[in-house]
Amino acid sequence: MGPARPYALVLLAFFTRCALALWPIPRSLVGGTTPVKLSPSFSIDLGDVHDPPADLLAAASRSRSRLDSDRFQRLVLGRGASDTGAIARAHTLHSVSLALCPGSLVRSIADETNKPIDSKSESYELWIPTNDTRAMLTANSTLGLLRGLTTFEQLWYDYGGVKYMLDGPLRIVDEPAFPYRGFSFDTSRNFYPVSDILRTIDAMSWVKLSVLYWHIIDSQSFPLGIPAFPELSEKGAYSLDEIYTGDDVQRIIKFANERGVDVVVEMDWPGHTTAISSAYPEHIACASKSPWSKYASEPPAGQLRIASPSTLSFAQTLFASVAQMLPGTMMSSGGDEVNLPCWEEDEQTKADLARRNITIDDALNEFVQTVQGVIVEHGKTPFIKSDMVLTHNAPVVDDTVVVVWQKSEDATAVAQRGLRLIHQPSNYFYLDCGGGEWLGNDVLGNSWCDPFKTWQRAYSFDPYTNLTIQQFSLVLGGQMPLWSEQSSPENLDPIVWPRLAAGAEVFWTGATLPDGLPRLNTNATASTHALARLNELRYRMVDRGVNAIALQPKWCVLRPGECDLES
Amino acid sequence: MRSVYLLLLSVHFGFVLGLWPLPRSLQTGTSTLRLAPNFGIDIDDAHAPADLKEAISRTKAFLKSDKLGRLVVGRGAEDSDALQRAKSLETLKLSLAHGAPARSITDEARLAIGTRREEYELHVPVDGSAATLIANSTLGLFRGLTTFEQLWYEWAGQIYTVEAPISISDSPAYPFRGFMLDTSRNFFPVSDIKRTLDAMSWVKMSQFHWHVTDSQSFPLEVPGFTDLASKGAYSSSMVYSPSDVRDIVSYAGARGIDVMIEIDTPGHTAIISAAHPEHVACAQASPWGTFANEPPAGQLRLASAATTNFTANLLAAVARMSPSTLLSTGGDELNTECYAQDPETQADLKATNRTLEQALDIFTRTTHAAIRAEGKTPAVWEEMVLEHNVTLGNDTVVMVWISSANAAAVAAKNFRIVHGPSDFFYLDCGAGEWIGDDVANSWCDPFKTWQKSYTFDPLANISASQAHLVLGGEQLLWTEQSGPENLDSIVWPRAASSAEVFWSGPGGNLSTALPRLHDVAFRMRQRGVKAIQLQPLWCALRPGQCNIDS
Repeated sequence: MGPARPYALVLLAFFTRCALALWPIPRSLVGGTTPVKLSPSFSIDLGDVHDPPADLLAAASRSRSRLDSDRFQRLVLGRGASDTGAIARAHTLHSVSLALCPGSLVRSIADETNKPIDSKSESYELWIPTNDTRAMLTANSTLGLLRGLTTFEQLWYDYGGVKYMLDGPLRIVDEPAFPYRGFSFDTSRNFYPVSDILRTIDAMSWVKLSVLYWHIIDSQSFPLGIPAFPELSEKGAYSLDEIYTGDDVQRIIKFANERGVDVVVEMDWPGHTTAISSAYPEHIACASKSPWSKYASEPPAGQLRIASPSTLSFAQTLFASVAQMLPGTMMSSGGDEVNLPCWEEDEQTKADLARRNITIDDALNEFVQTVQGVIVEHGKTPFIKSDMVLTHNAPVVDDTVVVVWQKSEDATAVAQRGLRLIHQPSNYFYLDCGGGEWLGNDVLGNSWCDPFKTWQRAYSFDPYTNLTIQQFSLVLGGQMPLWSEQSSPENLDPIVWPRLAAGAEVFWTGATLPDGLPRLNTNATASTHALARLNELRYRMVDRGVNAIALQPKWCVLRPGECDLES
Repeated sequence: MRSVYLLLLSVHFGFVLGLWPLPRSLQTGTSTLRLAPNFGIDIDDAHAPADLKEAISRTKAFLKSDKLGRLVVGRGAEDSDALQRAKSLETLKLSLAHGAPARSITDEARLAIGTRREEYELHVPVDGSAATLIANSTLGLFRGLTTFEQLWYEWAGQIYTVEAPISISDSPAYPFRGFMLDTSRNFFPVSDIKRTLDAMSWVKMSQFHWHVTDSQSFPLEVPGFTDLASKGAYSSSMVYSPSDVRDIVSYAGARGIDVMIEIDTPGHTAIISAAHPEHVACAQASPWGTFANEPPAGQLRLASAATTNFTANLLAAVARMSPSTLLSTGGDELNTECYAQDPETQADLKATNRTLEQALDIFTRTTHAAIRAEGKTPAVWEEMVLEHNVTLGNDTVVMVWISSANAAAVAAKNFRIVHGPSDFFYLDCGAGEWIGDDVANSWCDPFKTWQKSYTFDPLANISASQAHLVLGGEQLLWTEQSGPENLDSIVWPRAASSAEVFWSGPGGNLSTALPRLHDVAFRMRQRGVKAIQLQPLWCALRPGQCNIDS
């Protein structure tokens, strides 16, 4: 889009003035020192977009109302009192004009969001002039315009009711390093009402996350209402009030898509399926069998009877029923933590294997091929968990995306097989670690993936570690997951935010910050500045009703750098 | 044989899932009993104090609004038949034992620690005849009401128990069952503090330790010293006014909770420099790591007579805001380098020919005399006893925080002890480093699980002859990384762990505690406190099935 800008100016704008606090940090930014304020009648003008789609109009309307309702003041001593002079002489903007680049098709944000993961266009260019009353936001797609509006919202501070910034003129040329920037969310171990999911999607969009990976069901409960299989949720959900109906799912996906968030539903099979046994006991081996630790990674035990033709057929039909509910181009069959003794001791599975003269490995291969076949048949890209590939050597289709979860080092082995991957390593990204043991009677146990993954830890992740340059293109991005054994609506916001934003910036910016320097450690200025920007994001989120936790005493927040280790 | 089997089950799992803390003596049956639609709570004294009448009203409201289904598969569906046959309880009769004073709950809760009467007896007959609650004080009646509330579940509009008859005789093992909240690192509105006091009272906690000020902000408006808050609070809306303080202490008192305010001195006072730079040494000196345990650096000039008088007057003014018999003057983490490099302090020491320790002794004696003149007993952090040579009154309460191992040394010096050890009771540990430019974990890693707190032994390494020195303990929330956003979720239900340790005594069984802790957490959520889930709901409904060895 725009010509490349000298990095020296970026450094000046960010690291010495520290006035702008954008998250994720744009790939290229050139700022000046002229104050700019918004006219009270400021408008977001879509006149240059031919026949603008409804979700773009709605996005512009949301941005416009946030420009009023965000009362966020600058995080400095005095909270902007020292800016009154600058505000008085500030250049006034009357509008921002949105336009698509010549030749771009006008499609809805939702349609753009639902494109294949590697073909979305999220880039945008934003120009805040000091010699014109009109700002310009241009992009190749309505999705890019949405990303730009998100950036635009983050530029402004409030003082005395005036919305202003100090860095005009300002040009931002921005695009993500990776298309897949996700949050994986478990709604089975404990249930979350639709309103919690919508609030989370909203917050995800504020940091330009692009995918909600919905781990909707598991062994503990089956909250997904599938029209063709109503008894699965009626008997397998925690209660009739704890079900996502077909309408709920459509509503959530529509809400997400309009905010640039794609939804990947994971049906984690053939393990993690005990809850199916409430309605269909004939399809589940070792259901709630004791001791659970022999048959599963966590209680209750239970896995689909993969060797049974009738179970395979059931799985196929069920998978297709869910695939039909989903407009997106991605779907996951999970596949982590399958347990061999569960099948080895199951009489029916033993009989099925003997009758068909196949091994468990054969049956597992057949199962994976079957569910992947359904996904492909429905025009979607299949996702699978890394242990299915690395431990079980399952024969996956070529364009499978592997979710690397056990440890970050596993990415290397997945890439060596030439498979695409997303990073979700438990040693960097698991939001649930460090909260202690949830299993009973484990006197002084801590969580299996201790310690707590700090925002700094997640932020230090390098998506290209131990990969060759030739393998870089296999990395689609990554996601931070929340497993909900010890989480629920009560702590959803504080356990997720603002830590999830660390992952959002990693996968927006890539291996390094835009200036080419590492995000942490050897780049003290940048890490101090990252904390200041993250503090600001947290305060903005709290102002918008998301209960993001404090990262520091407010004393420190108002004095960036003064609470650093060496200061 | 079936009845024997059921009895064993009831003994083994202790069907009384709801009670937390566990009563000292408890007998239950296996009959279902429901509350009559016109259920009432009577008190035989027409002149019952207002806060007791209000407590009764709250109990009646909770009985209706809790709507907590039993934590079993089906949530009580299996109780339908028994409910149809169940007798109805129409009345709970409250009475004070003969000769017991009819003082308010508030007055009883504010008696000197160790002299409060919290014991009660509760009987719920199986036949529907009136239940009785008797105690030696209104505070005891209040504790009994709290227990009574926890007996009941809801199914299809019926409020019932499946364990009648119930007979409870109860009293706390320790009088100080506390929670400490730091409102300086980040600010908490009054409503958050009140909600926390409510939750504390539901698990019979008796002491709110309010670490109201610290180096980062001074949110307390003290009459005569209003410039401290007007210049040292985070903002004018982040101040506790005297009427806020009255509101908080009276709200606490009516719920059986005494409020011990702490003004941490002479360290942890950097923000006083915003209004009175003349009283603070090394204010915001850099590098902070040389002058303080955390930024910003700054300590009261303890060798200065003017600063000593200022502090004594400030503490006396704070004492006058607080009806408690306890007031903490803090005293942790004193940094000597701050004073060594402060010219004013060095000049003061030289002029008076004193060492720093001698000056600290005079400073402490002066400030303690000032609060004693206001009728307060001082409380201090352990360093005042273990690291400094300071003259303290024999009745001073010493709060152990650095390590649980230090309690024995405090006891050896014959001081009364409140346990708040970081290795068991710090609620903030384990969430990573808050200092910038440092990829590290929290200094007191790991996270202190409810299980860890629950295994605390108040008498570890303390001899029988010293046992009387242990007043109890508290779990603490330092708020560098906390705010209103995560207050409930970081505190509850973990803080209930020590509530049971110090009420029921140590040595509780973790396996049987878990279902009860679930129950109290679920009830908290029904009442609007965002206690976290300890397990998947699947496990909460199936006690024992998610044990590591099940």
